[in-house]
Amino acid sequence: MAYLELQNVSKLFTEVAAVRDFNLSVDKGEFVSLLGPSGCGKTTTLRMIAGFERPDVGEIFLDGVNITPITPNKRGIGMVFQGYALFPNLSVRDNIAFGLNIARKPKKEIDESVQELLALVRLKEMTDRYPYQLSGGQQQRVALARALAIKPRVLLLDEPLSALDAVVRVALREEIRRIQLELGITTVYVTHDQEEALSMSDRVVIMKDGLIEQIGRPDEIYRQPKSLFVASFIGTANQLRGERVNDHSINYHGTILRLPKNGFGGHDTAPVLLVRPESILLHAQPPVLPQANILEGTVKTMTFLGAVMRIVVDVDGERIVVDAPAGQDFSISHAQHVWLSFAPEACQIMKE
Amino acid sequence: MKRRTPITQWGCILLFLLYMIIPIIATYMFSIATRWDRTILPEGYTLEWYKTAFAHSYFASTLRNSFIVAFSAVLLGLILVAPTTYWAHVRLPAAKPLLDVLTILPFGIPGVVLALALIRIYSFPPISRSPYLLIGACVIFSMPFIYRPIANSLGAISVTTLSESAQSLGANTWQTMMRVILPNIMPGILSGCLLVFATVFAEFTLANLITGARFKTFPILLVEFTRKDGRVAAALSVISFTIAWVVSLMILWTAGRGSRSTEEALHAR
Repeated sequence: MAYLELQNVSKLFTEVAAVRDFNLSVDKGEFVSLLGPSGCGKTTTLRMIAGFERPDVGEIFLDGVNITPITPNKRGIGMVFQGYALFPNLSVRDNIAFGLNIARKPKKEIDESVQELLALVRLKEMTDRYPYQLSGGQQQRVALARALAIKPRVLLLDEPLSALDAVVRVALREEIRRIQLELGITTVYVTHDQEEALSMSDRVVIMKDGLIEQIGRPDEIYRQPKSLFVASFIGTANQLRGERVNDHSINYHGTILRLPKNGFGGHDTAPVLLVRPESILLHAQPPVLPQANILEGTVKTMTFLGAVMRIVVDVDGERIVVDAPAGQDFSISHAQHVWLSFAPEACQIMKE
Repeated sequence: MKRRTPITQWGCILLFLLYMIIPIIATYMFSIATRWDRTILPEGYTLEWYKTAFAHSYFASTLRNSFIVAFSAVLLGLILVAPTTYWAHVRLPAAKPLLDVLTILPFGIPGVVLALALIRIYSFPPISRSPYLLIGACVIFSMPFIYRPIANSLGAISVTTLSESAQSLGANTWQTMMRVILPNIMPGILSGCLLVFATVFAEFTLANLITGARFKTFPILLVEFTRKDGRVAAALSVISFTIAWVVSLMILWTAGRGSRSTEEALHAR
């Protein structure tokens, strides 16, 4: 059995299944993210691991012990909440020491732990401040230190960065991951931000409507999505729908597109061809590439995104998104007639 | 467009303050005046009325009785209402509207009606017409004053998240209440206690009807004197104000020591 295991866990809220048949094994020291749109059940699942919700079906095991009937304060979990939930009446030091005080640890041990943790989250100068005197990012770091103080067996984080601005978010997620790796703590992280999930996790669990859509490493999820939902949720993906002509090509608005040899759904009559924007090349003149798939269209919009230029091309009424490196030196203008090329092997065949 | 000048604004405030304070100052001056029925200011000053008040045979006992009733009402109100409010907020949110209505009901009941109803129902010894019945009536009557501030305080902090936070760190329900929730709703609790004390201490109708002469409270003595000797009544009124102020200051001082950071935290939000 894995360190943290959820078996057939389901939770119903008045006839609506918030979580259904959830099965997950998390190894010790692993960082797993639960990722999905709002209402997909990820927070409910986290709260069931914490003990704030009771599963209607199924069981949760931690280090071999069934923790399903155990109250939250006895599970040995540490939790970081979305709204930080720092105790307003206590200083930073007392907030961090809270769990240790409850456990009646000797004063010397508590003081040492608090100092260590403050150094870990880089907040030594804030020891005697109160939460209302700290910024959002600082409060979140205190919340993290507080949860780590009790040396939890599992660290649970519920969208801890969603209330912070972009720069702080990126800095903090690197810190959280660094600390997690340093301490080797098993972590379950809930977020709706795919960038967060992909950049921090060992594995990602994509959820939709209470069910698991896919579990895998971030690169697996990105390159080999198992369903259209995952493909469109992670990154941007162009979905080309056409009629199958034969085993290895489809008719897309009059153009024959070659399918990759390794795709599944090979016998569907209406497969969906998935191609990522960065895999498509833009040409101002008709390209001579016999092996590639070629489409023609007109430029509709161009958006500068820093590292890439996102160009939306109208191909026979369909919207195709192309990401061209912003350094590329060609001048494309609105309503210009352009050609798109992409290798069949850069695509994926999906079922509808 | 006419601009409101500072003079107009200050003038309004001054007028309002005078309107509020003049009756109190007048009462105070009347209590130390030898005679004040035919001149603008008192004819002379004396402490004679205070001496009469203090020397009255019932002075000490009525004061004591009022304190007993007021403090008991505060204590009982706290014990009954505070945990209930917390429970409704955290575990049974569906009960909140019900509690809101229940605790507002006493406002709709005139004191006379409440007193007579209670006397009718609790007409058996030892409760009948006893101080216990009076205290009970005062608790009911002052329920909105203890409930509202506590409910508002609980609403101002996210009780559920704070409770869960404490639990995730190993605290049981009692520890959560004492170390996290209570300190953060202390301003609300103290406001409630203050309001209950002030209202119950000054409550006349209930005391007069329920226990009457058997257990005289301070307001009863005061009303007696308004019919006998207005100057001593004035002195008793001043004593009444002073007690209310002193108790307020004491409660606020205790509050200030314990929860300054919470106050600031709540204001800073």
